[in-house]
Amino acid sequence: MTHFQRYRFTPWLLMAPQLIIVGVFFFWPALQAVEQAFYVEDAFGLSRQFAGLANFVAVLQEPDYYQALGTTVVFSLSVALGAMAIALLLAVQADRVLKGANAYKTLLIWPYAVAPAVAGVLWLFLFDPTLGLVSAALKALGVDWNHNLDGSQALLLVILASIWKQMSYNFVFFLAGLQAIPKSLLEAAAIDGAGPWRRFWTVTFPLLSPTSFFLLVMNSVYAFFETFGTIDTVTGGGPGGATTTLVYKVYQDGFIGQDLGASAAQSVLLMILVGLLTLIQFRFVERRVQY
Amino acid sequence: MATLQLSALQKRYANGFVALHGVDLAVEDGELIVIVGPSGCGKSTLLRTLAGLESITSGELTINGRRVNELEPAERDIAMVFQNYALYPHMSVFDNMAYGLKNRGVPKDDIRRRVNATAELLDLGALLDRRPRQLSGGQRQRVAMGRAIVREPQVFLFDEPLSNLDAKLRVQMRLEIRRLQKRLKVTSVYVTHDQTEAMTLADRLVVMNAGRVEQCGTPMALYERPATRFVAGFIGSPAMNFLPVTVHGERLRLPDGGELTLAAGLEAGSALTLGVRPEHLVALDEGDATPEGGAVIQATVEMIEPLGADTLAYARMEGLDELLVVRLHGEHAAGEGSVLRLWLSPERSHLFGDDDRRIEAHRATPVTGSRG
Repeated sequence: MTHFQRYRFTPWLLMAPQLIIVGVFFFWPALQAVEQAFYVEDAFGLSRQFAGLANFVAVLQEPDYYQALGTTVVFSLSVALGAMAIALLLAVQADRVLKGANAYKTLLIWPYAVAPAVAGVLWLFLFDPTLGLVSAALKALGVDWNHNLDGSQALLLVILASIWKQMSYNFVFFLAGLQAIPKSLLEAAAIDGAGPWRRFWTVTFPLLSPTSFFLLVMNSVYAFFETFGTIDTVTGGGPGGATTTLVYKVYQDGFIGQDLGASAAQSVLLMILVGLLTLIQFRFVERRVQY
Repeated sequence: MATLQLSALQKRYANGFVALHGVDLAVEDGELIVIVGPSGCGKSTLLRTLAGLESITSGELTINGRRVNELEPAERDIAMVFQNYALYPHMSVFDNMAYGLKNRGVPKDDIRRRVNATAELLDLGALLDRRPRQLSGGQRQRVAMGRAIVREPQVFLFDEPLSNLDAKLRVQMRLEIRRLQKRLKVTSVYVTHDQTEAMTLADRLVVMNAGRVEQCGTPMALYERPATRFVAGFIGSPAMNFLPVTVHGERLRLPDGGELTLAAGLEAGSALTLGVRPEHLVALDEGDATPEGGAVIQATVEMIEPLGADTLAYARMEGLDELLVVRLHGEHAAGEGSVLRLWLSPERSHLFGDDDRRIEAHRATPVTGSRG
């Protein structure tokens, strides 16, 4: 027996834990969702019958679905761009700090260690119409804050909470990106007559583009999928479906509404949508990235 | 075209470290000044204060008589070539050169004309559309030069611009920089730690050590009459040999007991240092008569380094801890273990006091032989 053959099964054995986890928790449910999307199930889960594309047709004819799609677009764009813009601003400022830089950085990274649901509850308390500190302050300023009634305010609140949660992640990457830019480039630009603002937009920002692109992809995925916990604790998708994103609707229709077929069809559509979005990002945005 | 004046320029960092202890220097119009020194001597800091990248703690810096201490780098009308070139990686060669002009609002047509002219001058015409990462080291270096030249600044600052190049390219670019500087006649300050580069490029050479200017003068003046022991050891390669000597009346006693006559005026018994360059120790052949004046010392060769045109011999002299370095002519057949008779000429040796400053001893009078 050769050396290689003797170790033929060891690699598989070593990879097995990871493969089993990915298989059981990702591929199996994903395939089941795809399968489920083509069936209609009775209310008690006792029988089901093949329905072809009926689930998809029903979903696409439902006005609520388009409302959720609209909400998702507004929500995701705001979260991704907001979280990136604020993180970039903070990273640029933190990069300039000389004394106590580590303390600042640690504090800014902390929110990332908070679970989405906890972050949601935190913001819920701050903005609670009767108890919240922020809502009280807003009331003093003449703003009548009640996200339980006002759909736009509710959407704004989940956007804020989601941005806050994601900011730290972006901050870490932007800061690393900034620190990788050689100082002499900015010095050369200063000698070349570029002021701080111009230096940022003509030298720093283009050189950060690989980081920005990576974060754009990561933030889109985050906004689409990982904000579920925040939305669930803060607004539960309401009021009146104002904060129901596509992911939240999958959960609502499937687990609250018990319409597993429709829910599965929505999951499949969502997967296709995110796949397309990522493809677009790689094809069109990545071209503008300066490596 | 510009003159540059540094008066008692001091740089103290926030942590209390003093990088420059009051530097005085006047740079003439069109002159190429090379600042040379070991790492950490403050030469790069000095250049960065000239550029405005570091603030000046005290003292005054003027360009053409105008005080520029408080001006931003952009307002000083200087251009700098960085050690790592600092080319903008996301811009083409053309845009790299045009960037400074664009920032200053130069009309588009003018930019095109000036960049093209500079590219022509540096032989970069075919590379204008390339990105820096598509260029070789030498080409990047030329683009960095081009970016400085195209702005037509008052002063060029060079921060070790050749240290990232291989040896052959370095020699080539050194000549090119010299040629360009003579042609454009732009006042330039050039920082390097490489003394060959310093000697060959400089109109005047400034040797720095520990934040102070040790000596300033033409390369040959520094070579022939180093003002301090530090300069003597730093300029010239291989470095000067230093022998501890003591004054005995009219004579200096060498470590091996031999004596060298130098005229009076030196305090008896004082310990001094005698410096002699490897190329100024003359090896005497068997039959050679001892020349008039000076001293003859004997040293046993421990190691030989043939360099082609020359051979370096590292020889052990009695009473001296370090090996004596001697530059022999190429064909010299001194083998390891052979004994060299070396003639030490008073005209070609340098005397330094215990404060390491040069002592101008009047050396005329003859000889006492060595024990040999």
